[in-house]
Amino acid sequence: MNELLTIEGTLTPLSSKTHITYQFHIDEPPARLAIEFQYSPKVLEDSEISRPLIMEAIGKYVDPSAADLQKQQWERFTPLQNLLTLSVDDPEGFRGSAHRHPPEQRHTLAVGSASPGFIPGVLPAGIWRITISVHCVVTPACTYRLSVYKGRDAE
Amino acid sequence: MNWIPFELHTHTPHSDGRHSLLEMCREAKKLGLGGIALTDHNTVSGMTEAEAAQEETGVAIVPGMEWTTFYGHMLTLGAPYCEWRDLGPEDIHRGIERVHQAGGIVGIAHPYSLGSPICTGCHWEYTIKDWSDIDYIEVWHEVMPSYKNHNVPAWNLWTSLLNEGYRIPATAGRDWHHSGQDDSWSAFTYIGLPEPDDRYSAESVVQAIRRGRSVISMGPMLHVEALAGDARYFIGDIVEDSAGRLSSMRLLIQVQPFAAAERYGDRMQVTKLVVESNIGELADRPWNEQEAGIELYVPLEGIRWLRLKAMGVLLGGWTTIAFTNPIYVNREQKNETEGETE
Ligand SMILES: [Zn+2]
Ligand SMILES: [Zn+2]
Repeated sequence: MNELLTIEGTLTPLSSKTHITYQFHIDEPPARLAIEFQYSPKVLEDSEISRPLIMEAIGKYVDPSAADLQKQQWERFTPLQNLLTLSVDDPEGFRGSAHRHPPEQRHTLAVGSASPGFIPGVLPAGIWRITISVHCVVTPACTYRLSVYKGRDAE
Repeated sequence: MNWIPFELHTHTPHSDGRHSLLEMCREAKKLGLGGIALTDHNTVSGMTEAEAAQEETGVAIVPGMEWTTFYGHMLTLGAPYCEWRDLGPEDIHRGIERVHQAGGIVGIAHPYSLGSPICTGCHWEYTIKDWSDIDYIEVWHEVMPSYKNHNVPAWNLWTSLLNEGYRIPATAGRDWHHSGQDDSWSAFTYIGLPEPDDRYSAESVVQAIRRGRSVISMGPMLHVEALAGDARYFIGDIVEDSAGRLSSMRLLIQVQPFAAAERYGDRMQVTKLVVESNIGELADRPWNEQEAGIELYVPLEGIRWLRLKAMGVLLGGWTTIAFTNPIYVNREQKNETEGETE
């Protein structure tokens, strides 16, 4: 497997509801692409930070008649979690996404097979995009690492 | 008309579900479902398994997706992947247009769930500039939906939109992520189709949902037919009397017990039927299973929509057990001060 790309970054809660897209060129159609993605931390352990965030969300989203009861039970909503999801576009369009919670993921795309969430098929040469959708960062900092590899055969 | 029970909101490991499509369809068959919609979060790749799962179980699979965005979750049915990542909170109509262009329909999923950071994007926050763009609303979400707090404002939203003149159907969705020990009951969306095999046509199912040819129920099927003038109307139809010639219509109402009997006995029983409309309750009748049906005459004056609601005992509580989508009335209304909103 040849490494095509490795990126690391650090996000803060201000990055919630943003997308980060990495765009790269593949010159020759590979037999397989592998993507490794991880981010950390996953959960917010600090209840000093969680409590006001949960209270605010309950105040914003729950009918006033039920809000007080929910606020008394705010700990039901802990731990809050960071959620980053990954999606892939080939030169022709959408090739799938992995909307799920585990913070360490490995995905492959090949002609005859693909990891759950992704669409098997030829891997055309041209501009590819990998998008990290930052649904939510609740921890003061969240680091991520993304690596892309291409392989000659479907090993 | 064939009324086929569907589950319209499901997930598999292609997003964050924990049962494969085949496992889910086997479970669906046991529950008595005739079809499901596959609505994984932000991907359509699960459909590669649909042919085999449908073949083995006979459960029809409608392609869909749950747009799992930062500002709301939106279900799509009958469309391939449509792009959502470039849209902001004011842009949902551009997104809906993409789904409509691709031949699909859109429904707001669980509009009043808690939002971020408790459940990311789960509360509907997109600005809707034109409600007639919305094809359906998931009014009942999760298992035991009539007991869930967040479905109360969804029901109220739906009802007030109907009162404003919008003809938006309601659906139920279990948001089914795993088949397992959880024996809580989900609601079904019965879809009215001309032929039984139409359930295998995604286009027919989508059409029926779009026009409100559906009934939401914990089990029993509610049949409502309206006879007005020489014409017969089903749930989702519009009673045409634009000249205002007719004074009343006749409603034929039946409650058909659900075939999978383990949901019956003393754990679920319809005890009362209510006909609701934009001008309030039109009828409120006790019901027991020995009855063959109810016939009602309803004056048309002032009526724009009416729906049937079945109340009764559900696992020890008393609640709504089923409701129909409306039958609408298109009629010149006398003494009306406000104009049509639609
Ligand atoms: Zn959702
Ligand atoms: Zn869902």
